[in-house]
Order: sequence, then structure tokens, then C-alpha cells
Amino acid sequence: MGTTIDISYWGLGIGMLLLLVPLYFFHHFKTGLVKPTIVGAIRMIVQLFLIGIYLKYLFLWDNPWINFLWVFIMVFVATETALSRTRLKRRILMIPLAIGFLASAILVGLYFLGVVLRLDNIFGAQYMIPIFGILMGNMLSSNVIALNTFYSNLMREQQLYYYLLGNGATRHEATAPFVREAIIKAFSPAIANMAVMGLVALPGTMIGQILGGSSPNVAIKYQMMIIVITVAASILSLMTTLWLSARKTFDSYGCIRQVFKE
Amino acid sequence: MLRIENLGIQFGQTELFSHIDLHVKKGELVCLTGPSGCGKTTLLKAIMGFVPPHTGTISVNGITLSPRTAYHIRHQVAWMPQGLSLPCERVREMVHLPFGLKVNRGVSFSETTLLDHFNTLGLEKGLLDKRLHEISGGQRQRILLAITAMQEKPLVIIDEPTSALDHASTEKALQFVQQLAAKGKTILAVSHDPRFIEGCGRQYKISD
Repeated sequence: MGTTIDISYWGLGIGMLLLLVPLYFFHHFKTGLVKPTIVGAIRMIVQLFLIGIYLKYLFLWDNPWINFLWVFIMVFVATETALSRTRLKRRILMIPLAIGFLASAILVGLYFLGVVLRLDNIFGAQYMIPIFGILMGNMLSSNVIALNTFYSNLMREQQLYYYLLGNGATRHEATAPFVREAIIKAFSPAIANMAVMGLVALPGTMIGQILGGSSPNVAIKYQMMIIVITVAASILSLMTTLWLSARKTFDSYGCIRQVFKE
Repeated sequence: MLRIENLGIQFGQTELFSHIDLHVKKGELVCLTGPSGCGKTTLLKAIMGFVPPHTGTISVNGITLSPRTAYHIRHQVAWMPQGLSLPCERVREMVHLPFGLKVNRGVSFSETTLLDHFNTLGLEKGLLDKRLHEISGGQRQRILLAITAMQEKPLVIIDEPTSALDHASTEKALQFVQQLAAKGKTILAVSHDPRFIEGCGRQYKISD
């Protein structure tokens, strides 16, 4: 396959001008999205350039300890971001989220690198960092949706929870309807996306690999695996978080505590 | 069957009630009465461990309520809360809810028995396939009463089972509850309805 064609800074600038199209319509319809879009675009540019610099050195050093340190930093940032996007008390979710993210990423990520790819060095930066990164991003978005759905429904539909509990349900049974709703809401988009993949949308990882010079045959196999490992890691991290947070969500009698910030 | 001794409940520094002693034997039908806000519903919730006792003890079938035993006590309880509104689409879905629980696995759900209960309570069979928003509050109360009866639990706790019923339906609901007690179920109810209170074997008044 061919080599990647670099995008010049001039070309990047010209490309960024396309943002004027959404900005025009956001402004025209008074959506209030103009400022967030500009701020978001500036943040994206700065963050991605910084990430580019970090990754350059991570690949250069290629040290497992430094790679793991990077994974810990990703877990910390993902946990903080998830906490800021839910109205839940920090003491309820912080440790469960961090453990959920870390354990799921390590379990699924290393399974993919070690068992599926059979790499000699599964802690190598070239594979470990992007795979853990994509897992973390997907776990973050699905966890935020699922946790918000779970806790909001649990607080709103307390009658259902207590009705089941009072009629002899275990706590696991009484929370099952809420877990079910949370899973449906968080994972339906991913499942719908999976069903139309390749027909309606060509996914980012695959495009990236093809642009990077891989054959489409290799790219589709990676794409399939990426979808499977992101869904697996996301559900594992969600279940771990819910299981670990239960102790602080319910009291010793199974009654719901105040979980949202005042 | 149910023993409540020296029970006191308080929220923060505010005492709701204290020194409650109530013993209910197997097959008895007891109604808790008293003015609104005196703690009748709270007492029912305390039996299931939803409101922790400040003083005293609660025991069901010899099991004293504690965090460790709350689950075992709830195993023996069929509970119909007051003004229950469940997020179900259809009546059938609401009816089946408790029967999906492990505790009711040994209970074979019989639609014939349910429809018999519907008949006794003056409900039409067709209600089962209706959407929840299509039925009245009184119909919902009687359906919940039927569901509560169908769970083969020794202790039945019902909170205001007739608050949305007319005179004739109240009579039917009362007879239904009396028949349950006659079959050996222990029933603890809360009601403001004079006819229902009068029809219960014993009344226990909680004062302000």
C-alpha cells in the first residue's frame, strides 16, 4: 500500500475554515452553540497538538512503566470527566469508576494485545497506548450515559424499587429494571452503529488505517475487533462501577441514600 | 407472627412515635388507625426495614429485624403500598412483576386464580390487557390487592387498600381481605375508611 500524505499546516488551516458552515447556522438559528463550538475547536486543536507531542515521546521511550503511567493518567482524567458529567456525589462514584475503567481496560486491552494479536511485547507503546486510549474513550461515554440513566431512574422511580424490595426481591433483583434501562440507553447506539457499519458509515479506525497505508483487509479486521473490545470493556466497566458503588448507594437495609449533589 | 415491642421512630431529633407494642397472631386481621401523619405508613415501612427503628424491636415469625435479616423478613411479606404507581405499560406487566422474583419461584402463577380474584373484587377480566393509564385508581387498587393475595406469603401488609373505592367496592375488598385472613394469612392494614376499619378483627390506634 502507499504511504500517508501529510496535511500541511496551511492545508489544515484551510480545512478548518469548514467550521464556518456550522457556525453560520448555529448563529442564524440563535442556538447558543457558537461560543461552545469555538471554545471546543480551540481546545481540540491545543489538546491534540499536545497529545501529538506526548505520544511522540511515549513512542520514542517505549517503556512499559511509562506506558502504564500514561494509562493511569488516562484513568484519572476519564474518572474526573465522568464525575463532572454526572450530578452524583464524588464519594459514591470516584473509586468505583477508577477501578472499573482500569480493570476493564487492562483485562480487555491485554486480552486483545496478547491473545488476539499475539504480540511479543504487549506493553509496547505503539499498540498499548492507542488501544487503551480507544477503550477509555468508549468506556467514558457509555458510562456517563448509563450512570446518569441508572441513578436518575432509580431516584425518580423509587416506588418500583421499594415495591420489589418489600415483596422479597434481593437488591440485585430490585435494581435490575434500572440496570436494564441504563444498558439499553448506553449501548443501543453502539449496537445500531454495528449493524450498519460499512453500509452507512465507514468507521474512524478503519479510515485511519487505510489512510495510514494498511490494506482494507487488515483495516476491516482491526475495525471488527475495535468494536467488540470497546463494547466488552464498556459493559465490564459499567458493571464493575455499579457493583462497587452499591455499598455507598444503599444503606445496610437496602434503602437508597442521597446520591446526587445538593 | 408479628411482634413489635417498644418501637420508637424518630427522624433526626423529631420523634414520630414511641412505645408501640403490637402482637399480631397468625390469621389475624388488624387495622392500624390514627390521624394523618401519626406514622401508620411509617410503621408498616419499619416492619420491612425501610425506616430504621430508634428504639425497640420488630420480629416476624421469630426473626428479629436487623440489616442481616431484613431480606428474610421481606421474604415473608406481600406488600401493597399506598398510591403505588409503577412504570409499567400494561396491567399484565404490573401483575407479573412480583412473580419474576426468586422468592416467588415456587409459586406457580395462575391466570385463572387471578381472574377469580378479579371476579371477587368486582373487576372485569378484560382489564388485564388494558394500558395502565386507561384504568381508574380504584381498579388499580383492587388489582394490586389481587396481586398481593396471589403471592403465597404468610404476612400481608396493605396500606389504604380502599381509599379510592366506592361503598360497594369497599365491601368486596373487605370481604376479600377477610377471606384471606380466614385462610390463615396474617394481615396488617392501614386505613381511614370507617367501614373497612370496622370490618377488621382488631384495631390498633396510633395516637399523635
